[in-house]
Amino acid sequence: MSTESMDMTIDALTGELVHADTLMTKYLTFVADDLLFGVNASYVVEIIINHALTSLPMTPDYVKGIINLRGQIIPIIDTRLRIGHPSAEHDDSTVCIIVLDIDGTHIGILVDRVAQMVDIDETQISTGPVSDQQLVSGMISLADGSDTMLVLDCARMINEV
Amino acid sequence: MDNGNDNILEMYLYETNTLLEQLDGILLNSEQANTFTEDDVNEIFRIMHTLKGSSAMMEFQALTTIAHRIEDLFFVIREHSMDAIPEDLHHELFNLMFLSTDFFRSEVKKIENSEPLSDDIDTFLSDINSFMQKINGGGNAAAQAAPAKAAPAASASSTGHILHVFFDEGCGMENLRAFMLVTSLSEAGLDPTYEPSDVDSNPDSASIIVDKGFLLHFTSSEALQAAIEVVKGASNIQTYEVLADTDAEAPESAAPAPAPALNTVKEDPVPAPADTPVHPAVSGGTPTNAGANRTAASKQSLISVNLSKLDSLMAIVGEIVITESMVTSSPDIRGLKLDNFTKSARQLRKLTDELQDISMSIRMVPVSGTFQKMKRIVRDMSQKLGKKARLVIEGEDTEVDKSIVDSIGDPIMHIVRNSMDHGLEENVEDRIAAGKDPQGTITLSAAHTGSEVIITIQDDGQGVNPEGVLAKARKNGLLTKPESEYTHKEILAFLMAPGFSTNKEVTEYSGRGVGMDVVKANVESVGGTVSISSEIGKGMCVTLKIPLTLAIVDGMELSVGKSIFTIPIHNIRQSFKVSEGEVIHDANHGEMINRMGSFYPIVRIHDLYQIDTEITNIEDGILVWVDSGELSYCLFVDELLGEQQVVVKPLPSYLNNFNIKNSGITGCTIMGDGNISIILDVANLYMAAQNGNMLH
Repeated sequence: MSTESMDMTIDALTGELVHADTLMTKYLTFVADDLLFGVNASYVVEIIINHALTSLPMTPDYVKGIINLRGQIIPIIDTRLRIGHPSAEHDDSTVCIIVLDIDGTHIGILVDRVAQMVDIDETQISTGPVSDQQLVSGMISLADGSDTMLVLDCARMINEV
Repeated sequence: MDNGNDNILEMYLYETNTLLEQLDGILLNSEQANTFTEDDVNEIFRIMHTLKGSSAMMEFQALTTIAHRIEDLFFVIREHSMDAIPEDLHHELFNLMFLSTDFFRSEVKKIENSEPLSDDIDTFLSDINSFMQKINGGGNAAAQAAPAKAAPAASASSTGHILHVFFDEGCGMENLRAFMLVTSLSEAGLDPTYEPSDVDSNPDSASIIVDKGFLLHFTSSEALQAAIEVVKGASNIQTYEVLADTDAEAPESAAPAPAPALNTVKEDPVPAPADTPVHPAVSGGTPTNAGANRTAASKQSLISVNLSKLDSLMAIVGEIVITESMVTSSPDIRGLKLDNFTKSARQLRKLTDELQDISMSIRMVPVSGTFQKMKRIVRDMSQKLGKKARLVIEGEDTEVDKSIVDSIGDPIMHIVRNSMDHGLEENVEDRIAAGKDPQGTITLSAAHTGSEVIITIQDDGQGVNPEGVLAKARKNGLLTKPESEYTHKEILAFLMAPGFSTNKEVTEYSGRGVGMDVVKANVESVGGTVSISSEIGKGMCVTLKIPLTLAIVDGMELSVGKSIFTIPIHNIRQSFKVSEGEVIHDANHGEMINRMGSFYPIVRIHDLYQIDTEITNIEDGILVWVDSGELSYCLFVDELLGEQQVVVKPLPSYLNNFNIKNSGITGCTIMGDGNISIILDVANLYMAAQNGNMLH
């Protein structure tokens, strides 16, 4: 039920933005430990909540485990732990996972909450001072001036451990 | 468009590979008899003809030329019959044919990998040409050395049984229609030569046919009559006329350059091609006939399916089985009395079981293909190494999952090569002195035992010298305890250590030290085990135990804390409860248990995987005694949940970043309630436990 309603929210959000400029790229933003991240919407498969996790032994703490998503086995990474921040006190009812398809590799990232869809002019993304940041390939201020979004580096996330 | 071409290419590759396999089979059988039966010659002729046609269609020039040339060669052989070829040339002929199948294989491989094809076929062509000269004797040398297409055309034009065919005006693609006509004539056992001779490769020939008609030359008037029947039945043919009368008047004189001697021989003794299919009395004909019948039957009842489609079928069927049990054991209906539902559910259960069985059986293929390839290897190696050997094959009808068949081909080949190279004695005298048959025997057998297939490769050679192996192991620094303590079995296990090869020199076939360890790795990757037994002087036997299928495993589900694990049933020997007093502690805080006179270490899964559980007292949980290959130990778990057939799913590739396989996890499976159970690999789990201990 809740998964459906979340999907509807996303649809509504995207609906508002259909008029967007063609140069703009859609990003899905989410929050992890008070940081606003954005991931290119073309990577996003779906958002799920309340899903049973099976933990995997002998893996780094940020690998939360695997889930069964309609017969597909998907590994789940805790975004907070992955970037070296303390883990949130999740109880199972508030687990929010964004499932990404990064060039054929399916992976789920555990986030505090999903924020919204935004249009980003990718040429405006600044790549300056981010080289030593975990999993961040760039930064950009949002158009409404409310916040600064960190661009999630998907390629590094699946290739580096 | 691209997709369409891909499909054509796929069909071409499939067809060509099948033909080459068939050809190899014929060649191997014929080589034993040291002659080609008439059926064989016809069959090879037909295969080459098809290869030529399809390769020309795909515009693979080199393949077309070689196929054409061999077709010519067999045309000559067919005309003369094998008897006309001197005995001493038989050997050369077989070698030439094996070379040609190798050539085709390597080219097909290049096509599969989309590499450029080789253009340099001149040496090979001249080999074939010079061989044809030898068959024909010196006298006809000039005529036979003529360009490829001249040979059949020239010899045919002298025969004078000619059919002149015109196609319907404006029907288009006359060259292809002509080629189809030729093909249907060939199928009727008539192999005409024809003009223009390049209808299958040259689209321009269409206009020539429109202008001048299509000429078919036959070797006898009977063949001509039979051909007329075929032509009558063909579509789009406007008229045909027999030109035999005019030309047959003076066949000899009308014949141009080629030596007439050859042609006169040909006309009398050769039976009309139309009769050839019926020849029951041919020596060694029975197996060939059986083979031919089988292929004929299989053509109608077999289709080729892309393996990936079968994979997804299997995956979906696995899902259905799981979903079915999710529905029928749903907590929502627990405790309700639903007669109709239960009835339908039982019916559904039956159907899904059947569906699962069928979809599994679709993927099952006999191992015969893999085994037959070994014949060729034994043949080639026995020639090169000068060792006499024969290959005995048993149980080749045994069926295994397709993906497993593919992955055991290389291991078996390694072992067979090893046996040929190191196993069999260098000198025949040694064998005779040991009271053995001078000809070595390698036995390849396959058999089912429940959920496994057992493949053994046995040779009657010199066997493994344990002292030699020990000495080598010492040199490579593999010994971990005093030499005298090694059992025979442990010594033989050294043979499968990486980089271990007892052969002093590297040979063409083996001795690089990448033999048995690769075999072991390959077999283990499909969940199998390898064991070696050997008695010095009597030979060696390698046994591969391989699961029937990778996709479904009989597993025991067990729980540790909140986690659920699955261990393949075939790894489990026993499970039992123990009391605190039975556990033996060693100096490294390790625990052991004495079972049947031996000590077995205990691995606590909750410790190893750091899982929270209330059951840490050895008396509260249960021990599962597992073994895998040489390894045997006990796992401590909370409780056994029961036996279940599970569909194995590989872990996501992302997790390979963490060497998850080394921690003893091979895959996972989705249980009836939708949760995931982790499948453990007993051997790797123990290694993980050992490494963990070392860190502590």
